Amino acid sequence: MSPPPKAKDGGTERNEWNPWRNLKHIFFNPKKKLRSFRNQPLEKDIKPTVSLPPPDIILGGLVRGSIYGLVALGYTMVYGILGMINFAHGEIFMIGMFTCVFALGLLSTLLSTTTLVNLLLATLVAMIFSAAFGYANERIAYRRLRKAHILAPLTSAIGLSIILQNFVFLTVSKDNISFPRVYSDQLNKVAFTLGGVHFNYLQFTILGTSLVLMAALFFFIHRTRLGIAMRGTAQDQLMASLVGIPVNKIIALTFVLGSSLAAVAGVMVSMYQSVAGWNSGYIWGLKAFTAAVLGGIGNIPGAVLGGLIIGLTEDITCYYFGSNWRNSVVFLILMIVLIIRPRGLLGERVADKV
Amino acid sequence: MQRHIIHTLLVVFIAVAAGLTGCSKSSDDHLKIGIAGVRTGTDGSIGGAMINGSIIAVDEWNAKGGVLGKKVELVIRDDEGKPDKAVSVARELVSNGVAAVIGHFNSGCTIPSSPIYNEAKILQITPGSTNPKVTEQGFPALFRIIGRDDQQGTIAAKFMREKLGLTKIAVLHDKTAYGEGFANEVKKTFLANGGQVVVFDGIPRTELDFRANIAVIKSSGAQALLWGGMYSQSGPLYLQLRQAGLDIPFVSGNGTIDPNFLDAVGASASNIYITFGPDYENLPAAQPFIKKYRSLYGKEGAYSVYGYDAANVLLEAIQAAGSADAAKVAAVLREKTFNTVLGPVGFDAKGDLKQSNDILWTVKDSKFVPAP
Repeated sequence: MSPPPKAKDGGTERNEWNPWRNLKHIFFNPKKKLRSFRNQPLEKDIKPTVSLPPPDIILGGLVRGSIYGLVALGYTMVYGILGMINFAHGEIFMIGMFTCVFALGLLSTLLSTTTLVNLLLATLVAMIFSAAFGYANERIAYRRLRKAHILAPLTSAIGLSIILQNFVFLTVSKDNISFPRVYSDQLNKVAFTLGGVHFNYLQFTILGTSLVLMAALFFFIHRTRLGIAMRGTAQDQLMASLVGIPVNKIIALTFVLGSSLAAVAGVMVSMYQSVAGWNSGYIWGLKAFTAAVLGGIGNIPGAVLGGLIIGLTEDITCYYFGSNWRNSVVFLILMIVLIIRPRGLLGERVADKV
Repeated sequence: MQRHIIHTLLVVFIAVAAGLTGCSKSSDDHLKIGIAGVRTGTDGSIGGAMINGSIIAVDEWNAKGGVLGKKVELVIRDDEGKPDKAVSVARELVSNGVAAVIGHFNSGCTIPSSPIYNEAKILQITPGSTNPKVTEQGFPALFRIIGRDDQQGTIAAKFMREKLGLTKIAVLHDKTAYGEGFANEVKKTFLANGGQVVVFDGIPRTELDFRANIAVIKSSGAQALLWGGMYSQSGPLYLQLRQAGLDIPFVSGNGTIDPNFLDAVGASASNIYITFGPDYENLPAAQPFIKKYRSLYGKEGAYSVYGYDAANVLLEAIQAAGSADAAKVAAVLREKTFNTVLGPVGFDAKGDLKQSNDILWTVKDSKFVPAP
């Protein structure tokens, strides 16, 4: 067999990300404009071009961001009402993932069909199951600690998170479990192709579902009687109870709402990444919590905004600098925002409680 | 009352102290061998199968009457695939008085734990850690019964460059000692053979959404993706690559060889290449082991046979040396050639296999098969 032709510039040296050379390139050479460092050689004879991130990077970032936003709503609602961070929220998300996968398995055998109706039913089951978990968490771990020092419910939440993770790890699956391909493949079909880039129905489904749910929640809180009761409870629990608002029920409703939203996010993520794992809740939950803080914890549009910013930052960083830098850049932005605006981008209250 | 409490405490204290000395007393009729590996965590499935292999070997020796006239007693510890946990496991095994250690599984665990065994003059043999650094540390009693990543990386890189005739590849790794080490070896060989590495990037071990990295690969025009990492991420990465419309070859190292990967990618998976040891399932020497393993634990994992071989080679060397002393056993290991399930095995001065037996595998009809 004859040896294959040699590549023209047989090396990777100049393609590699070198922070110092590239920073110098941006800041000390004003004639050249910012562009992707990754794929183009740094040579004088090549005309510098501004390379915007391709559309799949932007869409991927928006999808991740909308999921962060959806999960962040749960953190932010609980903080708004109780002033505590529910660290077990990520685990509720993970339980939603697993419930959906098992419900799908059960439904396919019971109904012997594999239509998208099954998927909707399984999502509903996951929502109900997660909501029950969220409600139980509130009853067992937080209600009795409501009057305690602020660190008590926080510790309780962290403990609950560890318990739930290990419970799933030990009793359900130590390995990642696969989302049934029959269902995800129906949504993973290519919707359209733009400039050689494939766009899946699933990505638009996730983006659309998240945005609709966020808008519905916003409407619910600002336009319905229950929503008004929730806002009242958030402002002053004692006064709310004096005017006849059932405070305990409203708080339970907050947990149920946040948990069912997290379950929907969990279902979509397990479909999107094609597996569900016992530690997925921790990973997505941590970023969602960061999104809530970035947007201003306690503020619902803030959670959505924070989620989208983090999702986009992650993917755009990955495009320009590589995924090694992803988390560093996200948390750097968080730090800068918190130094300039300690209450977050849209936050009204200073997050001084935790 | 006060006096009473003090007396009770004293009695309890003495009882505990007596119990502790009882524990630390070494038993003369047993030879303690430690097994350190990963049974839980994201590598639990692949690592647990390795430990089971070693257990079978030790049980066989015990049924034959043990080693040096003593029964072998196993001390099995789980490092969860975490470097920090591996160090505490190593300290625990040392204080437990084991004569030798089989393990660890992950390179990231073997490297930080090996100085502890070296200092305690305990022989260590790893059935799964392929990072070159493991044996490059120059410890006299550290052996590995599997090919190195530079040998593995050379096979993968040459395959892509020469057999497939590719000029541009993308390389992703999971930032662990194993994954990044393997990725670096492939990159080095591929560049040396006149190819180009257009993407080289690390992904955290817990990440399961690779869309951004895949978009980068797509815009870079890479002709193949090399993944240096473990099976828990290999499956989603492969699927997402195909969903993005990239049908380029997916090449990976021995961390991907696990049934879990086959489950994740499904029956239609194609264009996958994995470097790993020989195809033992069709070797006549392996049949008794395979039969025994399946009757006890079900389908064996890819590393079960390595765990089995490591335990057999270790015990045979102890028997031949006539003592469990690390220096003497190490000398025997370097001299002798051992007959294992995977064929005759000998060790060089560094403690590596004299001859790596890695080949290229592929996935067909939900099975790992040697590549044609």
